[in-house]
Amino acid sequence: MNRNAYGILMAAVLTGLCASGCGAQDGVQNGTQEQPAQAEEHKTETDTDTEDSVIVVMGPTSEPESGFDPAYGWGAGEHVHEPLIQSTLTVTKPDLSIDYDLATDMQVSEDGMAWTVTIRDDVFFTDGDPLTAEDVAFTYNTVKADSSVNDFTMLKEAVAVDEKTVEFRMERPYSIWPYTMAIVGIVPEHAYGPAYGENPVGSGRYLMKQWDKGQQIIFEANPDYYGEAPKMKKVTVLFMDEDAAYAAVMAGQADLAYTAASYSDQAVDGYTLLAYETVDNRGINLPAAPASADAEGNPMGNDLTDDVRVRRAVNIGIDREEMIQNVLNGYGTAAYSVCDRMPWYNDAAQVSYDPEGAAALLEEAGWLPGPDGIREKDGVRAELNILYSAGDSVRQALAADTQNQLKKLGIDASIEGVGWDTAYTRAQAEPLMWGWGAHTPMELYNIYHTLEGGSAEYSPYSNEKVDQYMDEALAATSLEESYELWKKAQWDGETGITQQGDIPWIWLCNIDHLYWAKEGLHVADQKLHPHGHGWSIVNNVDQWYWER
Amino acid sequence: MRRWNGRMTAMFLCGLAVLFLAAVTAAGWGVSEEALVTDFSRKNLGPGVPYLFGTDWLGRDMFLRTLTGLSMSIRIGILAAGVSSVLALFLGTLAATMGKAADAAVTWIIDLVMGIPHILLLILISCALGKGFRGVVVGVALTHWTSLARVIRGEVMQLKEALYIQAARKLGVGTWEIAWKHMFPHLFPQFLVGLILTFPHAILHEAGITFLGFGLSPEQPAIGIILSESMKYLAMGRWWLALFPGLFLVCTVVLFDVAGEGLRRLLDPGSAHV
Repeated sequence: MNRNAYGILMAAVLTGLCASGCGAQDGVQNGTQEQPAQAEEHKTETDTDTEDSVIVVMGPTSEPESGFDPAYGWGAGEHVHEPLIQSTLTVTKPDLSIDYDLATDMQVSEDGMAWTVTIRDDVFFTDGDPLTAEDVAFTYNTVKADSSVNDFTMLKEAVAVDEKTVEFRMERPYSIWPYTMAIVGIVPEHAYGPAYGENPVGSGRYLMKQWDKGQQIIFEANPDYYGEAPKMKKVTVLFMDEDAAYAAVMAGQADLAYTAASYSDQAVDGYTLLAYETVDNRGINLPAAPASADAEGNPMGNDLTDDVRVRRAVNIGIDREEMIQNVLNGYGTAAYSVCDRMPWYNDAAQVSYDPEGAAALLEEAGWLPGPDGIREKDGVRAELNILYSAGDSVRQALAADTQNQLKKLGIDASIEGVGWDTAYTRAQAEPLMWGWGAHTPMELYNIYHTLEGGSAEYSPYSNEKVDQYMDEALAATSLEESYELWKKAQWDGETGITQQGDIPWIWLCNIDHLYWAKEGLHVADQKLHPHGHGWSIVNNVDQWYWER
Repeated sequence: MRRWNGRMTAMFLCGLAVLFLAAVTAAGWGVSEEALVTDFSRKNLGPGVPYLFGTDWLGRDMFLRTLTGLSMSIRIGILAAGVSSVLALFLGTLAATMGKAADAAVTWIIDLVMGIPHILLLILISCALGKGFRGVVVGVALTHWTSLARVIRGEVMQLKEALYIQAARKLGVGTWEIAWKHMFPHLFPQFLVGLILTFPHAILHEAGITFLGFGLSPEQPAIGIILSESMKYLAMGRWWLALFPGLFLVCTVVLFDVAGEGLRRLLDPGSAHV
């Protein structure tokens, strides 16, 4: 009976959905009309009632273009963060190990091809309907089919086994699946559609009250939240450029506003500068292949950086501390890998500044000082053009400082600002100032693992042993076991991607995320922020409070 | 000795302006390597000695950057204004001499180009050509010829009816010879003044679209880039990053205008005896 009955039921639900969908749209229109009044109301509210509300300023690029839909990058996009409106199955703890949110238990099969997750049964969406395993399965099948920003190719399908058990059937073993589960917000099957991004319904700590595109988003605490009730009842997020954010701080209009290192020597009455350490790293790739051309005739590889001794010389010939002082006014930490201080980080990557050692390596490689101080080999000058994304003043400054430091080593470096439309192609032959850093070891795989063509995606490099460790890490049956394999992929005592190994990427620094915070605002402890100076700060906004 | 008169003032100002602009262009060219040097030990310094215009957040000498930027702007201006004027001369003459259809067509194009706001058309053309040096030069050249073309068209139409031209025609002199031998010398002063008065527009528009991010690429020390970068630092009180380059841009533009006006007074019969 069940199948048919179920079909009929679904049809009914869908019809209902359509009707309510139209209704929702009307609601939106009404909402738009009411906006001026609401904005007024909001203004007076913030003037008087600041006890449990906070105004946070982020950069304009943090505004989610496609709304609050996990399938289109909310939480699970290029810059990962907790989705606030929706719940996730797991969460990452401050030390970046895994804890549970919706999940109560998870098991992986012996061969790594199936994850079984049980979920809490006391969770309701903000529209009053319970959150079931069906919703979880629906969410994952949806993001697999639709996600334009994240890779879900390792998932075959998600199936709801019963009310509170969901099974993920995999295409291939993927031991770090819990990290993926930490960023995918669960959406309700009954209230999901094309307009979901603008009218999100979730079961998370907050619900979206109002969104004035290009200006602000207002969140209000979810009164029925299953966990600890949020202390901050209302969170307003404004989107402003750096200088406008600073102006807002000077005018006292923001409670917490992002800022950059270049502003850090300023002082604003009534505000303190908060600096949070991150894995938001910057580094350059050194193409580990001789100069040639790819199938389309684009340059690939670089004769200077093809020599591992040159790459090693660059790695120890750069004074990271000086760079941090110069460019970041001291607000940063030296980076030695793409994943510093993560559970899967191998500290064999750490090196100390050694200009003599660098010079010796370059000489060993045959690069000898020429008449103008620039090294030469067989009549060829040591030249390197470093690319950076145009318009990013921090990357420009880092590139400029790298240029100056390389000059000291006898490498004639130049810098060039490029757009992202050409940067990826050009980075195959020239170093580019990159920014990475994520709460998943998958980033190591993305950067260092070879593609089908035999070379890694972003910069020419390949090492079979490194590939093998990472493949084994993904096939591991426990996270602990996988951490060890990720570490081995970086350095196993013989080969890897560190100084003693192939060192195809040079990591320079992790950029502290800086914020102006109004005095009295207590911002809860932060995890190491990943790449992206945006939503990470409000991951735990529910635990912030005002000290009176 | 002759009494100092308006004509001599004009000549003097004109000469001074040209000298200054030539000096800036040459100096900027000469220090373009220096202007790119970054040195973090001297970042964010206010104006003074030895950095007259201060330094920016990368420790670049703003005086050298300003010189290089202006030099580049002037060179782009000269190139674009030159192309633009030749275009104006050609189309203006074409309209006036090649009959009604040609006249209607050229007038229509002039109206069309003038009907679209300059900056908009510039951005469109520059973007279509992939921005950069080429985009800016072509963009400025294609948008700045219209008013000069109008002037030349009017002038040629008048000339056509002039007695000496009529006489030459009756004597059987060919069209091209009339145009080259009899009309062009008469047109030349107008053309030259028009050309020089196009420079300031060209320079301002180059700086304008570069400022807006549709012009030269950001590692080039163009004046528009210097100004747009400096905007971010105004709130921090680093006024010198914007003030001096901006002031110098205005000076350059004004000087071109002075040179052009001076030349007009010297060449234009109507004001030659002031």
